Amino acid sequence: MSETKQNGTGQASDHRNSQQMGYPVQRAVQPPVDIVEDASGITLWMDLPGVSPEKLDLQVHDANLFIKAEADVVAAEDLRLHHAELQVPRFSRTFALSTDFDTEKIQANLKDGVLKLSIPRHEKARPRRIEVQAG
Amino acid sequence: MSSLYLDFPMLGEIDQLQRRVEELFGGTTSLRAERRGAFPSINIGSTAKSVEILAFVPGVDPSSLEVTTDKGVLALSGERSAIPVPEGGKRYAQERFAGSFRRTVELPQNVDSSKVSARYLNGCLRISIAKEEPSAPKSISIQRGE
Repeated sequence: MSETKQNGTGQASDHRNSQQMGYPVQRAVQPPVDIVEDASGITLWMDLPGVSPEKLDLQVHDANLFIKAEADVVAAEDLRLHHAELQVPRFSRTFALSTDFDTEKIQANLKDGVLKLSIPRHEKARPRRIEVQAG
Repeated sequence: MSSLYLDFPMLGEIDQLQRRVEELFGGTTSLRAERRGAFPSINIGSTAKSVEILAFVPGVDPSSLEVTTDKGVLALSGERSAIPVPEGGKRYAQERFAGSFRRTVELPQNVDSSKVSARYLNGCLRISIAKEEPSAPKSISIQRGE
């Protein structure tokens, strides 16, 4: 599993790409992840604060895993922002998946603003112990 | 601006510049596009009636969060545990914050720190502190001096 980056600078270049392609500019934050692997597959945790399951978009296309999400923004009409460390309510990150993984069986769970993805390995790609028979 | 986010492209350009400068001077470059530094990230805004603080604390049990106010300073503390590595497994990335955290926000003078409410939803903690008086704009009449 590896990260797919466009032009190497992440967010800012995405911004430029989308302008070149004629799409409206949609800035997004690249959320932090934890990734662990064991024999059965990979598990990924991603911080997506403020995101409800309806606003989470997961897509697998050409062995790329696209994660896009939008935080729910509820605020009073007359709210004036003074200080913002998280500036945009949108998240986006893409990962390239090895063909060892079974993208049909990805399990996703979103709880308390953390997405947990379980990406299992194909049965044939799992490590096996081969019995040695005495001849 | 009626949201607790600041969707303003120019700030993105400033962040990008900041990142370039960090690269030039050999600072750490992170894959995160969030502003580096303290956990949790905090957005602060105000309305006519309250000061609103939005803290991004995903994956934290709300019962383990502590919000206190003392002498005009609001403090938020808690802990988030690290994801354990499975037996015989490997860790590929650990970008998410783990450990105990504490952040403080100095409150403006005109708030009533006995009227604080906090609500946790989808990993966001929204803290609302009532203002003592609504600061409605008022015009001051000027009297002609004799």
